[in-house]
Amino acid sequence: MERLSGGAHLGVFAPVQNQARVGAVARRLGDAIELGLLADGEQLPGEADLAARLGVSTVTLRGALVALREQGLLETRRGRGGGSFVTAPSGPPAERLRTRLAEYGVEELRDLGDHHAAVSGAASLLAACRTDEDGLARLRRLEEEFAAAAGDAAALARADRRLHVEVAAAAQSPRLTREEIRFQTESGALLCLALSEDDLAGAAVRQHRSLLAAVEAGDGQGARALAEEHVRAAVDRLVDLRLHLPD
Amino acid sequence: MTVQHSPASPRTAARSTARGGPGRTPADPAAPAAAADPGAAAATAEEAVARVRDTLERVFAAVERTREAAERIVGGARAVGAAPSTADLAALRPLLLRQLAEHAPLISGAGFVAEPGSLADAPAWLEWWQPGPDGAPRPLRLHLDPDRSAYADYTHWDWFAIPRTTGQRAVSGPYVDYLCSDEYSLTLAAPVTVGGEFAGIAAADVYLRHFEAAVRPVLRRLPAPACLVNARGRIAASNTARHVAGSLLRGVDPAAVPETGAHRQGGLELRRCGTLPLVLVTG
Repeated sequence: MERLSGGAHLGVFAPVQNQARVGAVARRLGDAIELGLLADGEQLPGEADLAARLGVSTVTLRGALVALREQGLLETRRGRGGGSFVTAPSGPPAERLRTRLAEYGVEELRDLGDHHAAVSGAASLLAACRTDEDGLARLRRLEEEFAAAAGDAAALARADRRLHVEVAAAAQSPRLTREEIRFQTESGALLCLALSEDDLAGAAVRQHRSLLAAVEAGDGQGARALAEEHVRAAVDRLVDLRLHLPD
Repeated sequence: MTVQHSPASPRTAARSTARGGPGRTPADPAAPAAAADPGAAAATAEEAVARVRDTLERVFAAVERTREAAERIVGGARAVGAAPSTADLAALRPLLLRQLAEHAPLISGAGFVAEPGSLADAPAWLEWWQPGPDGAPRPLRLHLDPDRSAYADYTHWDWFAIPRTTGQRAVSGPYVDYLCSDEYSLTLAAPVTVGGEFAGIAAADVYLRHFEAAVRPVLRRLPAPACLVNARGRIAASNTARHVAGSLLRGVDPAAVPETGAHRQGGLELRRCGTLPLVLVTG
């Protein structure tokens, strides 16, 4: 096997930034609370267990829990039966999601969109080449689930994320599938915000239909272009919303 | 292989053929043929079929043990007029952990998946174990609340739906298993039925790379280009870069191949791997 050059070695063995990991864990758990994936009053697993399941050290996890407590999303109860409990935020969901959007810069949103469009476009192209009847049937079912969820932003976001993951699975690529899953855990709350805008959700229904038609027809290039456009439409809306937030 | 990827899939055969994308281009006639292993004696197609069959039948033997044990647990609870509980199913653990240890690395997940609504204390349940990053077995814990998880309903997956609807064992995949492992996998499953009532499935996962490692040596010794396809024509392993795992082999009908003997389709020879839904295509 060829040895890595000195520069590559430095990159490979560089420490994973702890602060970034704390932020990533806090964002993931915070999004789950915002989206209602973790319910009000629900007790989180013990620190050692949760850290192991997230694949981070207990020090990193504790940092994230402190941040979530500061945001009012968790409370700690001492004594017997104590631990970290979810405190569902109050106020209209759109307002809360806007608060989370404020944590992103426009450049970050643009880059997130570029990365997602690249993954989603490539997955759609390969899905058009490789999916079979069974894969198509699963995609159709998810597309209908999405259309039926109109008006419920959280349900729309769930169906949309599942549809994107299923496209990557139809591409027969575990790597692209893992990337899609990563996008949903990292930016699920943002997607939920975008889909709470009715006109955008309506457009997404039409975009899904066109995308699936291209996949079914085996039109890889068409599927790629449609998937990229679908991601861009959502990110453009988020950028607009972000630019109009008061600083 | 003389039959190449058709530019159009069977479902769109009547439509345009001018499409781009990987897997659509006809094989380059100048490309190297199958890389026969120079140092080894040639293998016959029958030897390759036997190797595939033996590899997966070993896994099915483990699945059969799980099926029997699950049947006893569910049957025991029902005999006293109760629905089984998740605590009852925990009795499967020693057996599942032993399977992971004995069949490493071929079996990368093993367990019982309950028919939703059939347990006393959970709407749905997977008693499922797989090696964690450190190699130590861990239980799979999924969010199965349909109001909150996008992945709650597992009944649509082939490994559950086929045994449930046909009453037969099934080889599902190759597919991206984003429910359990995020790996490209085969799942071997068998129905658990008690008193004629479907109670769930017993199953084991095989990562495709481990299956490939088990069959690659014999495929490489075949003198002609060859690939293994599932009932839908999806390639599970091959001895040529023209037909890589995950792509579809167009223009053949693997479902039409009888259980024994060589079956000819368009200049290719197709052989079923015993009663498994995998077909060796050579030519």
